[in-house]
Amino acid sequence: MAQSKDLYDAILNGDAKKARATTEAALAAGVPPMELIQESMVSAMDEVGRLFEAEEYFVPELLLSARAMKSSLDLLKPLLSASGQKMSARVVIGTVKGDLHDIGKNIVASMLEGGGFEVIDLGTDVSPESFVAAVKERNPQFVCMSALLTVTMPSMKTTIDALKTAGLRTQVKVLVGGAPVTTQYAKEIGADGFSENANGAVSLVKNLLAGEAA
Amino acid sequence: MPIGADLVLHEEPDPENARNDGAALGRVIEQTARRWNTPLAIPLMDLRLEKIDLLARIGISARDAETHHFTSPLDESTLSALCGEHATPFCLGSIARDQALNYIAAIPDLFPIGMAIGPFSLATRLKADPIAGTALAGRGTAPEDSADVLLLLQCLRAAESAVLRSVRSQITHGARAIMICEPAACTAFISPRQLRAGSKIFEQLVMEPNLRLKAALDAAGCDLIFHDCGELIDPMVEAFATRLHPVILSLGSSRKLWLDARLVPADVVLYGNLPTKSFYSDGAMPVEEVVRRATELLANMKACAHPHILGSECDVLNVPEARPAILKKVDAMMAVTATSD
Repeated sequence: MAQSKDLYDAILNGDAKKARATTEAALAAGVPPMELIQESMVSAMDEVGRLFEAEEYFVPELLLSARAMKSSLDLLKPLLSASGQKMSARVVIGTVKGDLHDIGKNIVASMLEGGGFEVIDLGTDVSPESFVAAVKERNPQFVCMSALLTVTMPSMKTTIDALKTAGLRTQVKVLVGGAPVTTQYAKEIGADGFSENANGAVSLVKNLLAGEAA
Repeated sequence: MPIGADLVLHEEPDPENARNDGAALGRVIEQTARRWNTPLAIPLMDLRLEKIDLLARIGISARDAETHHFTSPLDESTLSALCGEHATPFCLGSIARDQALNYIAAIPDLFPIGMAIGPFSLATRLKADPIAGTALAGRGTAPEDSADVLLLLQCLRAAESAVLRSVRSQITHGARAIMICEPAACTAFISPRQLRAGSKIFEQLVMEPNLRLKAALDAAGCDLIFHDCGELIDPMVEAFATRLHPVILSLGSSRKLWLDARLVPADVVLYGNLPTKSFYSDGAMPVEEVVRRATELLANMKACAHPHILGSECDVLNVPEARPAILKKVDAMMAVTATSD
C-alpha cells in the first residue's frame, strides 16, 4: 500500500514531518493503526537496525529515524488505547540511581517503541524502589536499566536485589546496558541480558519474547 | 601514568569536602603525580564545572545546574547573559580547581595542568536532546528551519564563552597547559555518514570553536592537551592532531595508537589508552589482559617510533566496591612501563 511505503521511507530517512503527514494520510484513508505499526514502523526500524549493524547508519541516523517513528506513533497511540489494542510487550526503562545520563537510554526507548513495544520511561536517577513500584503497577515483561558511569553501575545489582526482595524478580526479564557495562558484569549481577547498543537491545527483547513463546 | 586523581581523592577522609577545598585538592593532585612518578600534575576530571558557572549567569543554582537543560531556543536577553563578559562568582569547585593550580604551580618539579570541558561537549550538556540538533544540522537543516538546530548553535556560543572564561582563569592561576576534554566530539553525535556526504558539522561545531580556543591558549603561551575518549574516525583524529596541534593527544581505547601515529605529527605525543573503564571487572578485564595490552601497546609504539605516554583511556574513577581490582590493574599497567624503560 502506498501510504505504508511512504511511512516506511519517511522513518528510514529520519523525516519526522513526512512521517507524521503520511500517517495522517493513511489514517484518513482508513488504514488500521496496528497495520501501520506492523507493516511500516517495525519493518522500517528493523531496516534501520540492520543499517546500524552494518555501520552504514550511526547513532544520529538511529535517533532521527526514532524521532520520525515517534512522531507517527504519537498519532496512533490514542487510537490503539481507544480500541483496546496492545503492543506486543511492555518494557520499563530507566537510568539507575545516581546517574543522570539519558541519551543512550532515550535511544533504546525509542528503538523499543519502534520495535512495537510499549515503553514506560522512568527517566534518570531512578531508585531501586521506583523500579520495583513500576513493576508492581505496570506489570511489564522487561526491565531495562542503563548506567554510564562505573560508580553508578552497582545500582543495577541493588535494583535486581530489590526486585527479588519484593518477590518480583521472576516476573520480569532484566536487561542492562551502558558504556561501562559488559556481558560479564550482567551475568555477575544476575541480569538476564546485556546489549552494547540500542539495536541489540531490541533484538534481545524480541529473542527473549520468542523464547518464552516457544 | 593514569589520569588518576579521583582514585587518590577517595583516600581522603572526606572526598567531597576535599573536592571543594583548594589546598586539599592541590595536595591530592600532587600526590597523584608523585604516586605515578610523573611531573605532569593532571587535575581532577570534573567536567561539570563550566556548566555550573555558565548557568549561574542566569540564576540557576549549582545544585540545579546538572539537571537543567534548555528545551527551546533562547531569547536574546538569556543568550546575552550567557555569553556576556560580566562575571558571576565561580562555583566552589572552580575556585578549588584554581586554588589547586596555585598550589601546584609553586612546586618546582611539577608541571601545572588545567582542565576544561570542550565547547561542543558542553553545548551537548546544555540541550535536552543534543544529538537531534547535531543530526539535523548534519543533514543541512538551517537554524531558521529548526528550533533544535538554532538552540544547538546558541548553546555552542554560550559554551565557548564559558570554556574560554574557565581557561583564562586557570592560566591566571598558574596553568601552563590546559587539557580540553571533548568526549562528545565523536561518532555518537557526529555521523560519519553525514560527513562522507559532505556535511561540515564537524568543522562548524567542533573544529572552529576549538581552533579559537587554541588561538587563545597560544596567545597566553599555554599548551593544549586534547582529550577525546569517544569513538572516532580517522579524519577526526587527524584534524585534532594536525590542526589543533596539541602537545599531547589523549584518545579512548577504541583507537589503536600505533595506527593513529600515521595520522599524527611527530611532535604530538600520544597518550593512553588502556581500557580503564573496564578495570572494575576482573571478568571483563583480568589483570593478565591489562599486562598483555600494555605490553603490546608499548611494543607497537616503540616499533613505530612515535612519542607515547602509556596511560588510561579517560580518568580512572574510584568505584568503592571495585577499588582493589582497579588499583591492582593500574599498578600492573605501571609495572609494565617500568619494565620497558
